[in-house]
Amino acid sequence: MIINHPILGPRDAAEFVCLGDACMIDRPDWEAEDAMQQFHEYGYLRDNPAGQHQELWYHEQGDRSWLVLTRNTLTHEITKVEMARDVARSRGRDK
Amino acid sequence: MPEFTLTAEPPLMGLNETFGDMVLRAPADMAIVSIALPLGGEEAALKAIKAAYGVAMPEVGQMATSKGGETLMRMSMDQGFVVFTHPTPDANAIVNAKLKGKAYTTDQTDVWCALELSGATSRDALERICPLDLHDAGFAVGEAKRTMMEHLGTIIARTDTDTWLLMSGSSSAGSFLHAIETSIKNVS
Repeated sequence: MIINHPILGPRDAAEFVCLGDACMIDRPDWEAEDAMQQFHEYGYLRDNPAGQHQELWYHEQGDRSWLVLTRNTLTHEITKVEMARDVARSRGRDK
Repeated sequence: MPEFTLTAEPPLMGLNETFGDMVLRAPADMAIVSIALPLGGEEAALKAIKAAYGVAMPEVGQMATSKGGETLMRMSMDQGFVVFTHPTPDANAIVNAKLKGKAYTTDQTDVWCALELSGATSRDALERICPLDLHDAGFAVGEAKRTMMEHLGTIIARTDTDTWLLMSGSSSAGSFLHAIETSIKNVS
């Protein structure tokens, strides 16, 4: 499998490790009324979609960047690769 | 108290082997210092690097050489290496002084081992263990990339048409040398 890194170009998937669902980017607000419930969902509950799925991948044997991959779990086709920092900033992260 | 004198002995020191048209050697007195760009201070750090070395920090995956012979390698968005010939163990202080504290520097001289492979068939030897495309279109002279070879994290830089600089962890220098030698013997 080849992952087309947004900065480095096509790289062998063996250079990467997969963390899992990209929902990990959206850490809940610890001051929210229902923080307990939100953190339970954040820590333990995951969707298991058959089809499009966003995942966090780490380029450990490369530039050590975190990526958000949009991958089809049925076909393994990777349709989009983004820098996780860009995704996080687009979702309101300040740095 | 007796006086002790410590002698530096880098891994693979003095290595110089010939296989057919290929030469495998370990560069002597190679100092390596990493430069990390501070979050929010990237612009100032890049300016300081340009001022210190006379060349701009290259794009990710590229190398640039200063007039003084130092090589800058950009490994990722926020991190790069400066590689230069320097025999004494004070490389970090030198780089830090040049950058005037505008970037985070770490002396990495002792944690890497380096091999230089040259020769007309050197690419044939490397293509068996390097997962990157080493053809001219995929890897031009002046590029430096981080990958792995034989499960060992490696930086590979193309310093000339048929010359490659390989850097890997010094703690596994023997295994790395064995992997490279085996790959060379398979094609020579």
